[in-house]
Amino acid sequence: MKRRSIALTLTLALALACSCISIALADPAPLKPPPAPGPATGLADSAALRATVFGTPPQDIAPLPERVPMLEMDLEFPWARPVPQIFWFDRRLRVWFSAQPKPAPLAIVISGTGGDGNTAKLSILRAVLYRAGYHVLTMPSPTFPGFIVSTSSTGVAGDLEQDGRDLYAAMVQIIAHLPRKVRITDIDVLGYSLGGANAAIVKSLDGAEHRLGIHRALMINPPVSLFASVGRLDKLYAQALGGGDAGIERFYQQLYAELANLYRASDRVELDEDFLLGAAAAVLKTDAQFSAAIALTFRIALSNVFLAGDLYSGAGVVTDPAHPPRVGDSMEQISRELRSKTFAVYFTRIFAPYYLAHRPGSTVDSLIARNRLDVIGEQLRMDPNYYCQTNSDDLILDRAELDWLEKTLGSRIAVYDHGGHLGNLGDRQQVADMLDMLGGRWPRSTP
Amino acid sequence: MKARAAAPVLALLLTGCAAREVVYHHLPPDTPAADNRAQIARAQRLQAAAAARSAAPPAASGAAQPGEPPPPPVEPADAPPLGTYDPWARLNRFTYRFNARFDEAIFLPVANHYRILLPAPVRGGVHNFFGNLAEVNSIINYTLQGRLGRGVRSLGRFAINSTLGIGGLLDVAGKLHLPDAPTGFGTTLAKWGMHPGAYLVIPLLGPSTLREGIGLAADYGTSYGINLADLYRGYQSWGLGVTNAVDQRAHVDFRYYASGSPFEYETIRFLYVRKLLIEDAGLHRHQPIPKSNPQVPAGK
Repeated sequence: MKRRSIALTLTLALALACSCISIALADPAPLKPPPAPGPATGLADSAALRATVFGTPPQDIAPLPERVPMLEMDLEFPWARPVPQIFWFDRRLRVWFSAQPKPAPLAIVISGTGGDGNTAKLSILRAVLYRAGYHVLTMPSPTFPGFIVSTSSTGVAGDLEQDGRDLYAAMVQIIAHLPRKVRITDIDVLGYSLGGANAAIVKSLDGAEHRLGIHRALMINPPVSLFASVGRLDKLYAQALGGGDAGIERFYQQLYAELANLYRASDRVELDEDFLLGAAAAVLKTDAQFSAAIALTFRIALSNVFLAGDLYSGAGVVTDPAHPPRVGDSMEQISRELRSKTFAVYFTRIFAPYYLAHRPGSTVDSLIARNRLDVIGEQLRMDPNYYCQTNSDDLILDRAELDWLEKTLGSRIAVYDHGGHLGNLGDRQQVADMLDMLGGRWPRSTP
Repeated sequence: MKARAAAPVLALLLTGCAAREVVYHHLPPDTPAADNRAQIARAQRLQAAAAARSAAPPAASGAAQPGEPPPPPVEPADAPPLGTYDPWARLNRFTYRFNARFDEAIFLPVANHYRILLPAPVRGGVHNFFGNLAEVNSIINYTLQGRLGRGVRSLGRFAINSTLGIGGLLDVAGKLHLPDAPTGFGTTLAKWGMHPGAYLVIPLLGPSTLREGIGLAADYGTSYGINLADLYRGYQSWGLGVTNAVDQRAHVDFRYYASGSPFEYETIRFLYVRKLLIEDAGLHRHQPIPKSNPQVPAGK
């Protein structure tokens, strides 16, 4: 109950969680940013935007178990890089494990962009997988700051292959440290959004290294081209909120006034979750507001990736490498600067310089090309153990990308008519198909 | 002497298990089916309330009480500025960090074990018991706020739950459609026109403001002064205080730095003060809210 409340509350909270006006500083862009083809909302229409913001209605969620045991594991890895002082709380990777009382297959679930290992969406997936008889391990996205700091071997997140390697190394360590009584009969890996692409890469790495023996991989609403999808979200942000802070302030003022009016008209003595849940639908109504909420949520996630990347790479875009921020220092100035920083700026100022320096022979174009799912296109096409679920109105895809997924995976993809980006995750159809795919029972998987 | 002996133990606990490669935390189990049922019930309740509002005559719809004129609208330009009044930011940031460490090392594990070891009905009874004790402060403060109807409701709840509810262990009044609606001296000060004031992170307790901090102290002073059933003085008061704290923590679904973000302090501060300001606007629902001044940070 609380997690869903928080998910909805968070939509409002994230929309509100921006402070102080700043002047957007023009960034010199020595490198070409990745292009963002097509409309900012990808394939999404109005209903898809709404579904993306509000998620699956509780009455449409698949049957859930009464009880799921929870073990949190906090791990410290030998390859971790020194922890910047302001990230002191992210020294250990936090993952959550739910063990079956008998030998069972293990499902490893990876979160979407910026998500930790215990998001509301992961809770739903954990519950339905546990009910279906899996041990379930839920992990943060490689773009979650807690992962970047504790687990990333570079500190510069967003590279599919490198993030996949870090995830894979972490999985090997985690599985080695699971409670002794746990008996694993098989291993499948899945993820939603960016986590879906991460899951597929991890399986392909395991195919070469055989350290885990991953059987099946399932991508739920994955991007095809990481940078094109993120570019669309940058574009959506620019359309919904503009380039500077004026748009954010306008959006904040609108939401504040709507909430205050609803609260004053009610008979409540406290602004609690119940009120926020009831208010959410009344406050976020238009496509422009849905777009703003989605774009702002992504931009806030990007801020953490940007800051960590800036500190680890020593790029000095928003921090002074000689005097990095310390505990107790105000973060307001950095926060203001980061709000105006797009993914294109992250790419040109931090990501590309870092990987160009550390991967001899690479070019900007090769970096962009390596962050497409077609780097494992051959495996996706030939190996019957890769599956995908997506929606025909997903905002992170365009028509050509959806066609590519359908052509590449053939009968191993399920494309639903509605749901936007993850707006149908957990509903009965999605869960039934997911369990059939992971169980090797997907009807169209056999030729 | 005792303090000197306790310091290294506390330091060890706060530094956690720094030398261990993996730390395991056994958590209370998730209860997805029950949570989903509660979500569905809540959605239905909200839908019914929305339908009732839209069915009401236009003059009364939106009014807290039937027949009341609707409150003057809050315009977007009335929203407080994005900045928040935080003159003690540096101290607050260190307190926030201390709270996070204390919570991770002691408070949260104790609350989790409390949830694992004690059956739900027992925890419910403990929660109701403390809720019932808090009714005394609610009665006094609703009276001070001039909201006598609500004061009488709290008095009714206290009388029913203290007797039929076996000393407050059962929330009988809640089942009789008298839901709890606690208030305190912080809200009384707001009703009297005091602004939230400087943002303040209170050791162990968390986000607050100067006004709310004064309110908390006054509420504790009132309870101490009344000393209901001799619970607030002597050794039993320590046991009561600790149990109350653990019960409160077990009911708050928040974890420090779950966001993983170094901007968490700013985010929490922003949201907390906006929540207070909207609640303040609700307390003065019949007056237009004061015009926002972009030069004066929110809360000042």
